Amino acid sequence: MAISDAEGESPAAAKEVGGERKRKRLAERSLLAKWKTEGERKSYSSKLIEALRVVRRSSCPAPRAVRVAADRALAVTARGRSRWSRAILSRRTLKLRSRARVARLKPPAAAAGPRAAERRKPPALEQKARVLGRLVPGCRKLPLATLLEEATDYIAALEMQVRAMSAVAEILSAAAGGGRSSSVAAEPM
Amino acid sequence: MSSRRSRISEEEITELISKLQSLLPETRRRGASRASAAKVLKETCNYIKSLHREVDDLSGRLSELMATMDVDSAQAEIVRSLFRS
Repeated sequence: MAISDAEGESPAAAKEVGGERKRKRLAERSLLAKWKTEGERKSYSSKLIEALRVVRRSSCPAPRAVRVAADRALAVTARGRSRWSRAILSRRTLKLRSRARVARLKPPAAAAGPRAAERRKPPALEQKARVLGRLVPGCRKLPLATLLEEATDYIAALEMQVRAMSAVAEILSAAAGGGRSSSVAAEPM
Repeated sequence: MSSRRSRISEEEITELISKLQSLLPETRRRGASRASAAKVLKETCNYIKSLHREVDDLSGRLSELMATMDVDSAQAEIVRSLFRS
């Protein structure tokens, strides 16, 4: 079943009032499925190359460095289609956590009116949405709908990342266990 | 790709929530029809956190493996298996 990047090919969807939205949704579904197919292989290779470069730079690669490289490669695979991927790529190498978490206390529903009526969200939902916005890179101040879209894509990507890294770990541990390393230089590290 | 939605309908949000729900592992197993939006958001947060933890664990494992392995043969091994599959 070839999943092509159909950009609004179905005439039925175009007829509807929200035709543009439905088209986007159809495209999104195929995008999500991509994380399980070809995209997987591509992230494989780009991530591996990244990770191995990290190894070459430092004799003792820290897990954090591997994680950063893996995330970067994942973001690259997303091809800048999603906010979270763009946010990851625009991260500076040295991620300084100097930004203290400023708790923004908004007056509890003080500004009631026509605006509040449109987006009436229970506070519990808002709080959870905020937590979610912190978890997905670059999605702190997004409207709920966009945040949900980003989270959906991000989850699919993360699952693929886990699958790919697990497979690589299997390959490497199998190779290491097989004793194929020709240059057995016992590095006292 | 700017979202020119002046009014985000609740229906759309509900759809997105159910789509998100279908991705969550718990729902996949039990096949629950529809949980509340708050529950889905909470499950999503937990799921993302657990995925992050998995990635961190795997990163540690990979860094260990790569430290003990010869880089060139490691890369060769990976490329080989990529072509195999």
